[in-house]
Amino acid sequence: MTDPDHQPSRTRVPMPIAALSDPHMGDAAKDPDRTEKIIGLVLFLSIVFFAVAGAAYWQNWSPWTFGGALGAGLFALGFGLTAWGKYLMPQGPFVEERHTLASTPEERDTMSAALVERSAVVVKRRKMLGGLFAAGATVFGIVAAFPLIRSLGPLPGTSLETTGWRRGMVLVDSSGRPVRKDTLVVGGIMTVYPKDTVSPQTGFISDQGQAVDQTVLIRVSDQPFTTEPGRENWTPDGYVAYSKLCTHLGCPVGLYEQELELLVCPCHQSMFNVRNGAVPQFGPAPRPLPQMYLGYNDDGYLIAMAPYNQPVGPGFWERNS
Amino acid sequence: MTSRFLLPAGLLSVAALASLAMFFPGTLAGASGHADATQISITPGQVTTRACGTVNVKGVTGAVTNAGNPFLSSSKTCLNGHLISYGNTAITYSNPPRAFVSAGRLLFAQTCSSCHGSQANGVNPQGQATIGPNLQGVGAATVDFWVSTGRMPATDVKAVEAERKASRLTPVQALELAAWVNSLDPAVPAVPNPHLGQASQSVGADLFSLNCAACHTIEGSGDALAFGTNAPSLQNRDVTAQQVAEAVRTGPANMPRFSGNLSDAQVADITAYVTEKLQHPQNPGGAGLGGVGPVAEGFVALLIGVGGLALICFWIGERS
Amino acid sequence: MSTTAPTKRSRKEALGPYGRVGQAVGELDDRLGVAKGGRVFLDKIFPDHWSFMLGEISLYSFVVLLATGVFLSLYFVPSTQQVVYHGSYKPLDGQWVSEAYKSTVGISFDVRGGLLIRQMHHWAADIFTGSIIVHMARIFFTGAFRKPRELNWIIGTTMLVLAILEGFIGYSLPDDLISGTGLRIGYSIAESIPFVGSYLVTFLWGGQFPGTGVIIPRFFIIHVLIIPLVLIGLLSAHLGLLVRQKHTQFKGEGRTENNVVGSPMFPTFMAKTTGFLFMVTAATALLGAFAQINPIWQFGSYDASKISYAVQPDWYMGWLDGALRIMPSWELAFWGHTVPLEVFLPAVVFPGIVFTIAALWPAIEHAYTGDNELHNLLDRPRDRPKRTAFGVAFFAMLFTLFAASSTDVLANFFHVSLNQVLWFFRFAFFIVPIICGLVAYQLCREMQGVHGIGKRKRAVIVERSAEGEYSTVQAAPRPDDEHEELDPEPVPVRIDIEPLNNGGIRQPESSPTGARQVSR
Repeated sequence: MTDPDHQPSRTRVPMPIAALSDPHMGDAAKDPDRTEKIIGLVLFLSIVFFAVAGAAYWQNWSPWTFGGALGAGLFALGFGLTAWGKYLMPQGPFVEERHTLASTPEERDTMSAALVERSAVVVKRRKMLGGLFAAGATVFGIVAAFPLIRSLGPLPGTSLETTGWRRGMVLVDSSGRPVRKDTLVVGGIMTVYPKDTVSPQTGFISDQGQAVDQTVLIRVSDQPFTTEPGRENWTPDGYVAYSKLCTHLGCPVGLYEQELELLVCPCHQSMFNVRNGAVPQFGPAPRPLPQMYLGYNDDGYLIAMAPYNQPVGPGFWERNS
Repeated sequence: MTSRFLLPAGLLSVAALASLAMFFPGTLAGASGHADATQISITPGQVTTRACGTVNVKGVTGAVTNAGNPFLSSSKTCLNGHLISYGNTAITYSNPPRAFVSAGRLLFAQTCSSCHGSQANGVNPQGQATIGPNLQGVGAATVDFWVSTGRMPATDVKAVEAERKASRLTPVQALELAAWVNSLDPAVPAVPNPHLGQASQSVGADLFSLNCAACHTIEGSGDALAFGTNAPSLQNRDVTAQQVAEAVRTGPANMPRFSGNLSDAQVADITAYVTEKLQHPQNPGGAGLGGVGPVAEGFVALLIGVGGLALICFWIGERS
Repeated sequence: MSTTAPTKRSRKEALGPYGRVGQAVGELDDRLGVAKGGRVFLDKIFPDHWSFMLGEISLYSFVVLLATGVFLSLYFVPSTQQVVYHGSYKPLDGQWVSEAYKSTVGISFDVRGGLLIRQMHHWAADIFTGSIIVHMARIFFTGAFRKPRELNWIIGTTMLVLAILEGFIGYSLPDDLISGTGLRIGYSIAESIPFVGSYLVTFLWGGQFPGTGVIIPRFFIIHVLIIPLVLIGLLSAHLGLLVRQKHTQFKGEGRTENNVVGSPMFPTFMAKTTGFLFMVTAATALLGAFAQINPIWQFGSYDASKISYAVQPDWYMGWLDGALRIMPSWELAFWGHTVPLEVFLPAVVFPGIVFTIAALWPAIEHAYTGDNELHNLLDRPRDRPKRTAFGVAFFAMLFTLFAASSTDVLANFFHVSLNQVLWFFRFAFFIVPIICGLVAYQLCREMQGVHGIGKRKRAVIVERSAEGEYSTVQAAPRPDDEHEELDPEPVPVRIDIEPLNNGGIRQPESSPTGARQVSR
């Protein structure tokens, strides 16, 4: 299918013998001069845009003028060069033969023979040396892993299973203020930490306190209630406290719906009912949020009567659930 | 021939059935633990003084100064046995004028009594519970919030939550209703007027991210919560400073009620952050892409970025 | 020859027929022997199909990442030390933030051009991973991974995994609220691995979360040095294999398994590809200038007890977030141990399976087809319906998971209960890929049977004779068209003025020239 009036034939010409006069080496554009003018204009525009970008930077104009001019200039530059390549450079089509990747069967046999015969030196004649070297290298690999891996950090020990809460610790908010009996009215919620985690440097809660000890305190009613059998006096005056770490992936469960009495984790929408011990009733969380045994101290502040009775947060291999 | 279509048709019908379930509200969403909406359980407590009369303080904290309790605030004004106003430099709470009470009673009878009972106590003349809850003892701020945001009067009583809409009643009418409801059982908080001049956006941002972002998102765009409930958008410029303070102090619908854990100064800081910053997002980086975050960014990167560049490839290369 | 001082002409003559360029080639060749190989290199032929340029999008966005990344690394402080922020952004003034966060806000507001470069870097990262996937899809659907290119496919899959990891680590560096939450989730996912999980996390982070603050400096060096080095190495191998094995090409006129047809390296391909480099950079610059991305100043510094709602990770991690949301809450607890399947399965096992299948696909297909031949010609997707259907189903599954990561946004937008949306996705995860795969299979089979599908028909010119009679004639073929010679559609008779025998069409005098059979 050829049309001599229009384009060079689409027969392939091997590249090396194509002379400059060959139609394959000519321009692909219908009107090369006009195309050249257009490309030239575009390239000139790129210079203008770059100048604008430079001025925008120097004069500290709004950020989008600098970026916009830079982008427009780059686009014009790229467009010009690409159009030049597409319309004014030889398109061909040219052909190149693929050389066979594979070697000849004789060469392959020679290679395999060399490998087999020379490795026989080790395998058949010096077996013990080969084995000893392999053993030495393996032991080195094992020993080298120690500084590379073991020195990175501490062993987990029991650190994943305990929090900073101890019996008698006062609950404080993020500014260090303790909680009294009527700090919250029914329907109120706040995040509390152990008083001892207030950082002397910042006056705020330490990283560890925020991350692990964080507890959500909710005033569900003005009367004590029982979340689960055996926890009869855990909710003085209707205050209930749960670990704020979601048992799914450790996000803070800060979303509380007052009328539904539902804690919702914002990350993957696990839902915990606060009346019945924060048992998950929807979503991917597997276990209830650990509940804190609350009480009052002599000053009238809310305190933890005991540490959490189980590890907080997501599950892990050593967790005895 | 037909067996080729059996499997796809079967799968399609299962898919259709599953997605149909989406459109029948409540089929898969059993809300448990839903508290009875006709009773508002708040800590019993009243303070009676000769100057201020009897004020129901169940809704505010009795322990912390300058946290919305009139009897623990920097200044309090009472007259003839009625609480007029109280507060401090951060927020001034005031009850609507006494003159609004009679207008409020008429307005309530016309607009609200069908759902809340003629005495606003959630009981109809036959003695049965009405759809709307008992409003006695909720305080002026609560009534003003629900009416001025247009949530009340409710137009769809079957909806899970009343949504914000253009209010049928004027702001003055909202205060009239508040005045009358409050007169039945005077309560606090009264209608707050935050003074944002001294408020700190920076402190407000910090408090917002700890207390509010979990429901309203860090940019205040709001989102769907459990079982058909939702946290509304705070970027909506119809949300006034007064409404923000009212919502924080009264905890409407599923929103928690913030009392002693936030001082008035802190509430003013949060209000300033919401009304000055969140409602006027400056996006120095360019178009905000809806503030939805990485999902929108991903679409732009894939469709406009990769897609646009693929179109350029289409121009450069051959198509055969 | 001449005893006089060398003239201009004699100096020119001494240079030889190719002038200074020839002299330079000679000097280089004396030392490096580059002339012969260089000529071959300049003559290399590149097939011109547009879909072969998708890999270049990845390559050039990687270049943009390197360049902008160097800039950013000169300002970023990789430390979680808490400091008080005093800078241009007023709503943060006086707050305690980490050094990493403060330096990133500083880049955005206090370094001229910093926000643009930061946004370019992030947009380029999204485009980088997106274009890798589009490129891999092209390779997959055209069968370019077959012998002898299996190794290149494996290298490419490895680069995809590294790119995703690099992106996750990169956007976690500023230590803002959103990405910090993602890191907390990452900690929990690693923790969920049986036997080694708790050791892995306490080693990497330096203890129980948040550790001793070493994670950000470690991530910094991984992001800036280790992964880029590995990527550059793999990229060099990837391109080297491409040069050695030569590019594949579609079937067509004059194209065989033993040649490459296209345009030459110098000057054509070099011009086009360098121009494309500028255009990719332009795309990231324009996006960086006009579209805001990752506005960390709005989020605040990371605090482990704070959280925002409606948070999703960057798009290339979205499929994992969706998998985590729809997974039921199954947890194994036995004999004093716990295996949190609701985390381990969707976040560790599932991506492991996905990437293993992806990496081993050449072997899987080889086991199925038993095909041991070298392939340098590409399939059209419709030629391999089962492979295409599997690929479509695979992508449909990933897209469904990606959509599942926005359950709350979708529930809000469509005013449907969040719980119902989640249940919908639990079903859709299975049903959507199956349906998409079956539909794709059917489409392929049907497209195979249609003569000339996808080709342009020749244009038809309507002519009006002096008597007022309309007739149609086929237009001349367009120069670049490889289109079919099809029978022209008859023009329907609208007004029955003079019923003519053949419905008013004047058949062209001669049959269309050069009719070709389409090669299947």
